[in-house]
Order: sequence, then structure tokens, then C-alpha cells
Amino acid sequence: MSDPVRIRGLQQRIKSVMWSRNSQRFKMVMLGRNLSDGLIAKLIIYMLLSIVAYLYLQPLLHMISTMFMTVSDLLDPAVKWIPREITWENMTKAIEGLQYPQALFNTATIALTCSIAQVLVCSMTGYALARLAVPFKGFITAMVLLTFLIPPQVVIIPLYVIFSKLGLLNTMFVFLVPAIFGQGLKGALFILIFRQFFRAQPPSLEEAAKLDGASVIRLYVRIMLPLARSACLVVFLFSFIWYWNMYYEPSMFLAKGFTPLSIRLDNLENVLNPSLLGNKNNITNPVTEGTKMAAAFLIIFPPMLIFMFLQRWFITGIERTGIVE
Amino acid sequence: MSKLTAHRKEALRYHMKQYGTGMMFMLPWIIGFLIFVAIPVGWSIFMSLHKVAVVPGGFQYTWLGFQNYKDAFLKDSIFPIEMITYFQEMLLMVPIIVIFALLIALLLNQQFPGRFLFRALFFLPVIFATGQVLSELFTQGAGDIPFLEQYNLEPLVRQYVGGELALTVMEVLGRIVLILWYSGVQILIFIAGFQTISPSIYEAVRIDGASPWDSFWKITLPSSLPFISLNMLYTIIDLFTFPMNPVLAHIRENMFKVNTGYGYASALAWIYFAFIFVLIGIVLALFNRSLRQRGRRS
Repeated sequence: MSDPVRIRGLQQRIKSVMWSRNSQRFKMVMLGRNLSDGLIAKLIIYMLLSIVAYLYLQPLLHMISTMFMTVSDLLDPAVKWIPREITWENMTKAIEGLQYPQALFNTATIALTCSIAQVLVCSMTGYALARLAVPFKGFITAMVLLTFLIPPQVVIIPLYVIFSKLGLLNTMFVFLVPAIFGQGLKGALFILIFRQFFRAQPPSLEEAAKLDGASVIRLYVRIMLPLARSACLVVFLFSFIWYWNMYYEPSMFLAKGFTPLSIRLDNLENVLNPSLLGNKNNITNPVTEGTKMAAAFLIIFPPMLIFMFLQRWFITGIERTGIVE
Repeated sequence: MSKLTAHRKEALRYHMKQYGTGMMFMLPWIIGFLIFVAIPVGWSIFMSLHKVAVVPGGFQYTWLGFQNYKDAFLKDSIFPIEMITYFQEMLLMVPIIVIFALLIALLLNQQFPGRFLFRALFFLPVIFATGQVLSELFTQGAGDIPFLEQYNLEPLVRQYVGGELALTVMEVLGRIVLILWYSGVQILIFIAGFQTISPSIYEAVRIDGASPWDSFWKITLPSSLPFISLNMLYTIIDLFTFPMNPVLAHIRENMFKVNTGYGYASALAWIYFAFIFVLIGIVLALFNRSLRQRGRRS
């Protein structure tokens, strides 16, 4: 074989190696070493997340923009997102229709007291199920799970009768008493979260405290509960939000007194428009739509505010609790 | 001999004391369970076997046996159909919600600038999704996405899926935004779950030359299997008590009808409950088996 041919062959091989190396570098920039390093991956992540974020934000934006519209803006098909002039009339009407200060107080009282009670009781129960000697532990754990599964609709009438016998109807205690006894809204879920959390803690801590002569109660109050701070925060926030938003139970138990915001929102159409009574189902009435949106905003606003302040701890708390094993 | 019994007595006392502290912690829950769960559940089962009429001063029961349960399938023209369609929808919606949540959680778990903002945004559904506010928004049509009509997807779906199922698929597609809104807690659970996978494993496989694609299928997915099963369960329960659920609406309707009443409504609710229970049992069994197999292999 002659030299020029060999050299040409070598050159070609060098070229192909260089080309593949360059292309690899290009690939590295575009795709990256990790899933998230490369340009393309980043672009895709941003795109997907933005689309979904838009879907999440859209109802919220719709609410806020409708809130400031006048009736003529609402009827005008040319006006979609931005109202011609900003009106506060909807807001004042909504505050009046909801009896906002009163209802806000009711909702806040229920949500606060019940969620604090739930944190205390569920953590106790969870701790007992995780660490203490309890007879029939397996059976009780199964029952906790079962309470999570029972739909509220199944037991609502017997509960109604029980509550009326106990004289709790139309007072805030109709939610507080079950919460104190560990049967609050989604209490089973919280018990399981706490159980999982306490199980993940090293047992040496308790052994050390026991050797030093601490009683179980002291050990629980002084060591375990402070240790579970992040879990407590997560449970408190979830519980608060769920109590704030609940609708079905208060519509049965609190229809006549101590009405929370969610019930008032449902009645708002009747309050604004007494003549339409009875056929409010799924009719979008342009005259009241703005007011309703304002009312919805007024309801969401306080938990949103709380969440904004607490979200950093909330998110890291959730990551740290490791909710489940 | 007496020494032995004394010893045994001592041990027994020790155990009782241990049980005592445990019971003290459990007591509130046990009392609550008896009053607010056991009695209502028992009562509701009792009622489902009777015809219940509301009379001044209480209820009047007439023994029916299993007649209510039979009627639910034989006489009621709405209940079985609605339950079957809802189950079909649920079987479609549960995987969609779980897969969507898994995807979003994966994306949110990556490192990129602005992650914090996005994370905060994706917790929004957790705040609102349970409330009356959301259903108010959806009756106003705020959550519609126009692409269904815009691209005229219906004939396409009909062509590929065929007849009966096409309706279900269209229904689910129409609710896609709602589905996204109902995956807030699931995203949270997945993100929490990913934190339990140690980063050193990823490092190790990367050095061994695995692509991100491989490490997803071989590491992330298998290790998040328990979270997937938990999310399936949570989603099933969540949809089960969903406020816009047609089956529950039917049950509520029957509660206040004169000729059916609360007894019949309880029977319906228990039938519904039994079906969900079976579904949950199947999911649990499947995941338990695959988890055990994984455990055996490693």
C-alpha cells in the first residue's frame, strides 16, 4: 500500500474523531451531564412548567380581573381580561353580602382552634402508635385507616342526630369537639403522618431520657414534640386550610348559626337576587358574577397571605418530614 | 413457687403500667372513635337494613332486610349506571393524576434558576382545590380549555377508542384542568419522596456511564414505587369524596326523597363504599407484591 493512500486514510480518521468529539461537546452543552444541566432540558422544563403554571394561575387571574369589572364590561364580549374601568362596587357588595367581618371571624375561629387541637391530639396518637405499648395496636392502626376511608356522606345523618343530642349544633364546638377527640377533618391522615415521623426518629434519644428518669409525658412534651416541629407545621397548615375551605359538613351542621364563609358564598346568589330563589344551579348570571368573584377572592385571600409568609418553612418542612416511608 | 408467681405478678404489673401510658395517649382518639365513628357507622348500617321514615320526635324503622341493597341494582335506573361510568372515569383519572404529579415533581426536583418561584406556585392547588371557591370558579367556566372544540378532537377520539369508551375519554379530557388542580397534594408527596433517595446513588451510576434516562428508569422510578402506591390510594380516596361526584349527588338526592329515604341512601352509600374498598384492596395488593419482589431481588 502506498504512503499517500495511508496518509489520506489517517487524515480521514482524525477528521471523524474530531467531528465526533465536537459533536459530543455540542451534545454536552445541549443535553448536559445531568437531566437538568443542558440547554434543551432547561428549555423544556421551563416550557412545561410555564404551561402548567398558566393553567394553575388562570382561574385566579380570571377571578381578579372579573372582580373589577362593571356589568357592562361583563356583558361586552370585546372585554376579556382587562376591564375598561376599575370598579370597587363588587368588593363592597361582596363584603356586605357575605357579612364579611362576622363570617371571617367564624371561619378563622373554627380553623384556628380545630387545627391546633388536631396538631396536639394527632401527634399524641401518632406517637402512641409509633412508640408506646398499646393493646391491639395493629387493629387500632387499621381502624385509623378505616376512618380515613369512610365518606362523610355515609355517616352524616347519624352524626347530625348525635350532635343535636349533645347540643352542639350551630356552634363552633360541632367541629372543635371531634377535633379534640382525634376525629377532626382528615385526622387519620395526620395521625399517620405523625406516626411515620416518630418512627423515623432514632430510639436512642428516648432511651437516654428514660435512663435519666424522665416520665413518658415529660419525654413527649420536652423532647418528641419539639423534635416534630416541622411535622407539626405541615399538619397545622394542612388542617387550617382544609377547615377553612370545608363546605359539606358546615352546610349540615352550621346552617343556622356561626355560619362560615364557604356557606355564605353559596348563599350569596340568593342574597343578591332574592327573586331568582330556587334556580341558582349552575346559572352564570352576569349581573352577580363580578360580586361572586370578589367574594371568592375575599375568601381565598387570608389563607393565601398566611401561606406566603409560611411557605418557606412549609416546603422545607414537607421535604424533611418525609411524609411516608 | 410463691417467688415465681410474685415475679410473674411483677411482670404483669409492669406490662399493665406500660399499657397504661400507651392507653393514656390513645384515650382521646378511642373515645372519639367510639362516639363519632363507631356509633354513626353502626347506625348507618342498621338504617340501611330498614325503611326509615322521619316522624316527629325521631325515626321510625321498618325492617326490610337486604331489600334496599337489592333495589339499588334491580329497581334504581340511575345508580348502577352512574356508578359504572364514574368508576370508568376514575380508572382513567387516577393514572393520569399520578403520572402528571410524578412528572411535575420530577421537573420541580431539578436544579434550575427560579425553581423556588415555581415550587411556590405549584402549592397553590393545595390551598384552593378543596374549596367551594374552586367549584364556583368552574361553574363560571374559568377552568375550560378551548382546545377540545378548537381542534375538534371528538371524532378523532371516537375513531381511535371507539363507541362507549370515547364518551368517558372525552369527559376526562374536558376535565383536564380539574385533574391538574387535584394533583397538588400528590406533587407534594412525590417531592417529599424524592428527598429520601440518596444523591450518592445518582453519582455512582453517572460515573458508571448511565444516562439520565437510564437513571430515571433504574433508580428514580423503582425507589418511588411506595410513593406511587400511596398517591394512588390518596387519589382514589380524594376522588371518592369529590364534591362534583355524580354518585354522591345521587345518594344525597335519595336521602331526602319521601319514598326512598335515608335507609335506601345508606344502602347506596355502603355499596359504593364496598366497591371502592375492593379497588383499594387491589391497588394495595399489587403494590405490595411488586415491593416484595423488589425486596427479594436486592
